Amino acid sequence: MSADISDLDRRREFDALVRKFRPDLFRYAFWLSRSRNLAEDVVQEALLRAWQSYGDLKERDSARQWLVTIVRREHARIYERKQLDTVDIANFEEEIAASESDPDLQRMRRALFQLDDGYREPLALQVLLGHSVREIGGLLGLPEATVLTRLHRARNKLKQALGSGPEGAGGEGGSA
Amino acid sequence: MNGRDRENPPGGSTPQRHASDEQFEELLARALRIDVPEAMPATAPRRSPPIFRWAALAAGLLMAVGLSVRMLQNTGYIGTGDLGHDVVAHIHHEPLAIRTPVVPPEAAVPQAELETVLREAGANLGPMGPMVRYAKLCPFRGKMVAHFVVQGASGPVTVLLLPDEEVERPIPVDEDGFIGTIVSLPIGGSIAVVGEQGEARLDEIQREVAAAVRWRL
Repeated sequence: MSADISDLDRRREFDALVRKFRPDLFRYAFWLSRSRNLAEDVVQEALLRAWQSYGDLKERDSARQWLVTIVRREHARIYERKQLDTVDIANFEEEIAASESDPDLQRMRRALFQLDDGYREPLALQVLLGHSVREIGGLLGLPEATVLTRLHRARNKLKQALGSGPEGAGGEGGSA
Repeated sequence: MNGRDRENPPGGSTPQRHASDEQFEELLARALRIDVPEAMPATAPRRSPPIFRWAALAAGLLMAVGLSVRMLQNTGYIGTGDLGHDVVAHIHHEPLAIRTPVVPPEAAVPQAELETVLREAGANLGPMGPMVRYAKLCPFRGKMVAHFVVQGASGPVTVLLLPDEEVERPIPVDEDGFIGTIVSLPIGGSIAVVGEQGEARLDEIQREVAAAVRWRL
């Protein structure tokens, strides 16, 4: 860990990174936790930790992946510490802006809210953060085949929930 | 969205299916992109972590990675002997508190939240003009102190309430692009008021805060 955190240039560089990635980090944290408050705490803590070890980041090009990893780890840490209750669909209206007027969007968000964590996270990583299957596999510790299967099943489950999907979701390939 | 590595669903492909898939993907991408709070969370009001959380964090860091005294001094947990330097080090330790130059009025810390921080820090704050946009109870030189940020003319201005730090005369702060002063209070103790170079309201904020602070007995 770097001991010297008083470099103003580095602070500005870090601030620029935060400005660029924070919105999607918040969204990712939200879809991990399905709680706006928790997502804010997760991102806040993650960015503090990221700043503390920013000097150790050698490849600035990998900053996005590095931040996502820290957010994921921080979510797990906070989740474990708080021993949170299972998120109920009743929380949906509270957590997702009830003012959203697009019914299709609301239905999709509700379906995402209800999707199992094991399907929701790789989907968010792929669609929201643009991660490749290999990157998702590396982050989640899963074989690429498993990631592909989960992505496929996640979409099928969403389509089913929206009333436009196939009846069967198929089995999961590879091992988790 | 990123189209890399898209899995190929079974069942072949027709123009209708393709259009439907595109609509689905567009809807999925939109659904995942929920609204992000404007000023979250560096400048927005948020819960203050309890004292034990910081103490545990400091202790955990010490045990886990063997942080040096130098590191602790850099974070302001313990003093270096140079009060001005310790104040700037503490500001660096919480960069998110001053990330945004100007925040909207709705980012003001709720009064109840501010009072909680002040109460834990043994202080009171009377009415004052500058908007408080961040407030937290922080370890500083071995004590828990109120650390808050008010909105200046062009950027954030950090204020530390230091009931246990006595200074004989104003101590100027000029380090790493931060300027300000640590001044004693007639009621004892001192306050540090530090902004970025060029901040026009520093003196005014210092006077207002100094007049508003009361220590709890």
